[in-house]
Amino acid sequence: MTAAGASGRGAGRRRHRPSSAWGLGLLGLAGLMAAVELAPRAGLVQRRYLPPFSTMVSSLADQAGTGAFWRALLDTLRGWATGLAIALAAGVVLGIAIGGVPLLRAALASTIEFLRPIPSVALIPLAVLLYGTGARSTLLLVVYASFWQVLVQVLYGVRDVDPVARETARSYRFRTLTRVRTVIWPTALPYVMTGFRLGAAVALILEITGELVIGSPGLGERIAVAQTSGAVDAMYALVIVVGLIGVAVNLLARATERRVLRWHPSVRREAVA
Amino acid sequence: MTRFRAALAAAGLLLLSACGSGNDSDSGGGPATLKLSVIPIVDVAPIYLGQQQGFFAEQGLKLQIVTAQGGAAIVPAVVSGQVDFGFSNYTSLILARSKGLPLKVVGPGNASTGQAGKDFGGVLVKAGSPIRTPKDLAGKRVAVNTLNNINDTTVRASIRKAGGDPANVRFTELAFPDMLAALDKGNVDAVQVVEPFLTTGLKAGDRLVASNYVDTAPNLTIAGYFTSQKTASSKPELVKKFSAALQESLRYAAAHPDAARKVLAAYTKISPAVASALILPKWPASVDRASVDTLARLAQQDGLIKTVPDTGGLLP
Repeated sequence: MTAAGASGRGAGRRRHRPSSAWGLGLLGLAGLMAAVELAPRAGLVQRRYLPPFSTMVSSLADQAGTGAFWRALLDTLRGWATGLAIALAAGVVLGIAIGGVPLLRAALASTIEFLRPIPSVALIPLAVLLYGTGARSTLLLVVYASFWQVLVQVLYGVRDVDPVARETARSYRFRTLTRVRTVIWPTALPYVMTGFRLGAAVALILEITGELVIGSPGLGERIAVAQTSGAVDAMYALVIVVGLIGVAVNLLARATERRVLRWHPSVRREAVA
Repeated sequence: MTRFRAALAAAGLLLLSACGSGNDSDSGGGPATLKLSVIPIVDVAPIYLGQQQGFFAEQGLKLQIVTAQGGAAIVPAVVSGQVDFGFSNYTSLILARSKGLPLKVVGPGNASTGQAGKDFGGVLVKAGSPIRTPKDLAGKRVAVNTLNNINDTTVRASIRKAGGDPANVRFTELAFPDMLAALDKGNVDAVQVVEPFLTTGLKAGDRLVASNYVDTAPNLTIAGYFTSQKTASSKPELVKKFSAALQESLRYAAAHPDAARKVLAAYTKISPAVASALILPKWPASVDRASVDTLARLAQQDGLIKTVPDTGGLLP
């Protein structure tokens, strides 16, 4: 099975030195911090526009003491989670429904291929007209962008079902729901998880973009406020927070994927090797 | 496969809860909720101050301030009824009006201080720039935050007043936060900025060459609070109450500039040092009709609109 993204190829070979990979990753991060700390101090860039890293961190510490920061963080995480959950539910249900009916699939293929590439950001004017500048406008963008990631993966997953298994299920006259549960779902699950992982990252990007451009509540809006206030330190501090959320979202998505698919050959192989 | 069923149920629940939330503002009873969309800048300090002082609550209003990142998002939100009131400069309102958008001003927003060199907005150049007067801006690259709007028309007015020719000034669109850096790098020759960037720029050694709002008209009213014709005619009581609370807020802010500086910390990230040094706009009690007419005339003169619209229908 060629489960996209769920493969653990080469993991066995690298398994004996995960600590060095972590070490190298941290070293790279430390190098970046040092560069951002030293460049403004050495006068390579103006401190007015790029303050040293330590200044950003101290501004972050200041903000962490305020309720507004945590409210914004919560707004961002809530918007992200809600949008992703809707996209995931809608993507899985519609993906299985469309993928399961060849005629429907053929009829909708061109429509999907037309709607999918529309960048969510291009829908901002529409979102503002429909929902004003509130959180729902951003939610629309998040759902739209991550929905396609999930839907397309689920469609692939449904197509990947072993024809022999499918025919066997039909011969035994499985009911539709039983067939979905025992034949389609186990095959599609790795694809769903890939869609989840891709969707999680895209949802975060759109959540921040929406807040930044539309001004709906969240960290993106705080970044924009810091920018219009000329508070450069505070702005970079928030950018760092958004970066950290991105890392956390990615780790969370990978951990979820490993856990949900622990029965799957691609993940089991990794553990056995 | 109970896991599958549980996952499906959880997804369904999430979907339901997500659809169900967000309609709480429509519930009746209690004080009337009003939504006001503003840009989080110095100009709207009276609103935050008025909310703190309880002027809106006194009118039986529950004020909900919705921040937007630009005026472009505010006008559609007001027209579609997503928010009841918005904040915008008059040139934008005149342009919207001439395009047939049904808008109605309900109260003044802010005005120029009327003192050259001591206004809240102006044109900055680098310390060593050969540009000395607005007249010297002819043929130069000048950054404004929005093209074909209040800032380029007033800079042109400033140049005309100094006896220069504004026809070949090359205006470039830049966001206020990016202007000082662009000026520094020499990407533009001059920038039209407002607070807090005016004070920040002056502190960094930039030089003020024009107070474009002062040069345009005495006591130029710059921005105002507006609503849609629909809200104005269907909720006259709400408009009246908002207008009254707004008047009180503006009066209070004008009388207590220190409180106005302090409230900036509540909704912006302007540092206390800059907040105590920056020049506050004037918060007048009424809209100065003459200056709105001046802005309409400038918009027509600069080709933003073909004919000067009837500003009487726009103003309260």
